[in-house]
Amino acid sequence: MSIDSLMNQDIKTRCNEAYEKVVAYQDKLNATITAIDPKDIDYDKLEGKLKGIPVALKDNVSTKGIKTTAASRILDNYYPVYDATIVEKLRKEGAVFVAKASMDELAMGGSNLTSMIGPCHNPYDLNRISGGSSGGSAVLVASGAVSVAIGSDTGDSVRKPAGYCGVVGVKPTYGRISRYGIIPYASSLDHVGYFTRNIKDASLVLEVLAGRDDHDMTSSFEKVDEYSKLLNSNVEGKKILVFDNVVENIREDIIINSFNNVIKGLEEKGAVIKHVRFDDKLMKALFPTYFIIANAEATANHSNLDGIRFGHRVDGNTMEEIMINTRTRGFSSFIKQRFVVGSYSLFEENQERLLKKAQRVRRLIVDEVMKELKDADCLIAPASGNVAPLIKGNKSDELAPEYLIAENHLVIGNFGGLPSLTQPMGFKDNLPFGVNITCNPFKEADMFNIALAIEEITGLKDLVKEDF
Amino acid sequence: MNYDVVIGIEIHLELKTKTKMFSGAPYAFKSEANTCVNEIDLAFPGTLPCVNMEAVKKALEACMALHLDIDPLVKFDRKNYYYSDLPKGYQITQQFHPIGRNGYIDINVEGKTKRIRINRIHMEEDTAKQFHLFDETLIDFNRADVPLIELVSEPDMSSGLEASLYVEKLRQTLLYLDVSDVRMEEGSMRCDVNISIKPEGSDVFGTKVEIKNLNSINNIKLAIDYEANRQKEALEKGETIYQETRRFDEKTGITVSMRKKEGAVDYKYFPEPNIFPILLSDEMLNEVRNNMPELPDQKHDRYIKEYGLSDAEASTLIQNKEMSLYYDEMMKKAKNAKSALNLLMSELQGLLVKNNQNITNTKVQSESLAILSNMIEDKEISGKQAKDVLEAMLDGSDPRKIVKDRGMKQVSDEGAILSIVNAVLDENPNSIADYKGGKDRAMGFLVGQVMKKSKGQANPQMASKLVKQELDKR
Repeated sequence: MSIDSLMNQDIKTRCNEAYEKVVAYQDKLNATITAIDPKDIDYDKLEGKLKGIPVALKDNVSTKGIKTTAASRILDNYYPVYDATIVEKLRKEGAVFVAKASMDELAMGGSNLTSMIGPCHNPYDLNRISGGSSGGSAVLVASGAVSVAIGSDTGDSVRKPAGYCGVVGVKPTYGRISRYGIIPYASSLDHVGYFTRNIKDASLVLEVLAGRDDHDMTSSFEKVDEYSKLLNSNVEGKKILVFDNVVENIREDIIINSFNNVIKGLEEKGAVIKHVRFDDKLMKALFPTYFIIANAEATANHSNLDGIRFGHRVDGNTMEEIMINTRTRGFSSFIKQRFVVGSYSLFEENQERLLKKAQRVRRLIVDEVMKELKDADCLIAPASGNVAPLIKGNKSDELAPEYLIAENHLVIGNFGGLPSLTQPMGFKDNLPFGVNITCNPFKEADMFNIALAIEEITGLKDLVKEDF
Repeated sequence: MNYDVVIGIEIHLELKTKTKMFSGAPYAFKSEANTCVNEIDLAFPGTLPCVNMEAVKKALEACMALHLDIDPLVKFDRKNYYYSDLPKGYQITQQFHPIGRNGYIDINVEGKTKRIRINRIHMEEDTAKQFHLFDETLIDFNRADVPLIELVSEPDMSSGLEASLYVEKLRQTLLYLDVSDVRMEEGSMRCDVNISIKPEGSDVFGTKVEIKNLNSINNIKLAIDYEANRQKEALEKGETIYQETRRFDEKTGITVSMRKKEGAVDYKYFPEPNIFPILLSDEMLNEVRNNMPELPDQKHDRYIKEYGLSDAEASTLIQNKEMSLYYDEMMKKAKNAKSALNLLMSELQGLLVKNNQNITNTKVQSESLAILSNMIEDKEISGKQAKDVLEAMLDGSDPRKIVKDRGMKQVSDEGAILSIVNAVLDENPNSIADYKGGKDRAMGFLVGQVMKKSKGQANPQMASKLVKQELDKR
């Protein structure tokens, strides 16, 4: 169901229904860390663009007085004393929060298998992953519990699960949405993103979330458009770059066929299609570059989690012991492994050949992509080389180009802070897969228009998978 | 053997801003513990830093006053270490791009000017304050994220005296700039001294010892003199000087080892990703430069050049910032700089001390004191009368009103005084005879009688001139 159709329902009924679904689906989907009963909402007072629309928040979004764990044991009893800026913005426009959604621990993962509450299940096949790190949010939208959910995207954490779950996942330009109050992963790559079931909703939600926030110095002063009013599917003369490096590394014919179909459709609608190949060496460096930068920043970002002022404290005889015990017990071994990597690349003797090199490669990659993109309107590619993997036993070859390029190319949007979205493109054995478009900074209005054209071509919108 | 002492000083200075460096929380020294704190100071997850531009301006003023080259692109870095007084687990500082580099300050060592170079000034945030009680530790987060600048000198000082003069001169300059309270005893100015010794004339530096948290300028001198001597004796006994941190024990006057330094700590510095570099416009830099208050050195020169004060007078005056600012105000009206200074520094200051007041809380307005000074200058009242008037001014009264109410106007009308003089002479023929007989004291007596008869209002110089003139006629 779209926001428009929800608006025809009684507010209280739809909020209660959303909450009840969140609770009822938990057994099978395990998508929620904290369900929020809307019983105390004063429905008569709600006003705004999202008046009475139930919304799920990823559990790394700070909510005053509502437990916020980032799916980590170290925060399993943490109740923020303040609201994230986007929480204030959503509330001001009438949104009603019904769930704090599961995620990978501290958003450091792409599977949603590392949440402290265990794996989140894909509603299209409960044996498959939702993708991550914003898996819970994607699943709550895909399963019909809510029509809007907030996520965060550091590498592809909104846009990858969106593809696996058959929903729209948006990550706008860096600085477009305030990060204040979002428990970080890697500050220079972190973006607030969100899920909807169609492009029109996606354009409306950005109107609510976007804008300068004096609490976030990296947030932009750039004016916020009325994206939903500007929305149209006219792509006449739009220059669209087909990302050949990605396409070449995809082995699934059905995905390639669907993708070609989308390209053909765009061409028919008057878009100008151009194929681009970027330096393969740079494309193979996407993942290692990301891995170094993200973990280095994460190591420092999470140094505040020490059990002294908040969170799950494990006692000790001295302050130092408390900090060591808290961090030893509070993080999973997977997270600690990431911290070791991050710390290692920050050591004075390693920084030049690891972190600084990664930062230079990041710049080279962005320059390489922008060289083409600046004269075009978007870069298009399948979001992933396949449908959602099985929860058990799936392990990809992390050195093969099928993995390094096809499964990691979305990170370009984070490296360059470029607006990017994934939307449904087709199904393979009843499992959804997605297509991604990435545009120029602050060209979200253009991005939504191209996406609307694609939505018309595929006919895939408002998908809900309720029978799981 | 003779040794050279090599001293460098690092100073942490709390900037005087209404709010903190990155959190926007209000801050006031001596507030109740943990009341000047918000979610950012406590590093709650998801909070982000926001640069306090007021603090940047104060740092710029310090750089300009101390002749540093300013980097107009302001950048911050993270210094990573775990400690319970450091909420974020890293401190935001300026490791790679300090706001200022390569400055200096001139000090006066026994009549000679010596230039002490300043390597850098960078901005950073303070840590929380810990209190250890028996088996508990209390943390006051009020101080967390208070804006600091760190000033790092070159190792240009060679004695406790020079070091103390350097710190005193810096303190005075920064006090006039009003960028900080510069109170060492309250911790708004904190000094760490690095000291080593080497054989006289040698190019090879000795092992550096750090003395931390010296809480007064006098202790800096005492600590350095003690430490230099300790190192010298150690070397002469063939002992090794360890690279270590020591503290100065005020009671015993000696330095005590706190911890040895084993290799440098790796703080894993990297650029702060949440703060984009801020480019300071020429406009802003000029605005800061043009609005800088007058610095002590400039004041000193002006007092000598414009007001004709002596070097000693000027130096004494600027040692007290409030007094100096008061004097500047006075001089907008006062006609005679020297007598205005005398009235302020001797008469008013004496009265204030006697009445347990000071220049900042006195009710005597600078303008009133200037008027009083001018009344003396214009011979409207005598210096002696002025003292009485000043005493009456302590409650804030207007000197003109006091003089008028008390009928204290000095009479400088020659005719009026002349008639009093002749009346006094007529009444005291014996004194005239004494005077003629060579007794000079008679003259003093007669002038006294004139003053008495005029109720103290006769201009004393005029009275004595006329007495002499009339005596000689008789």
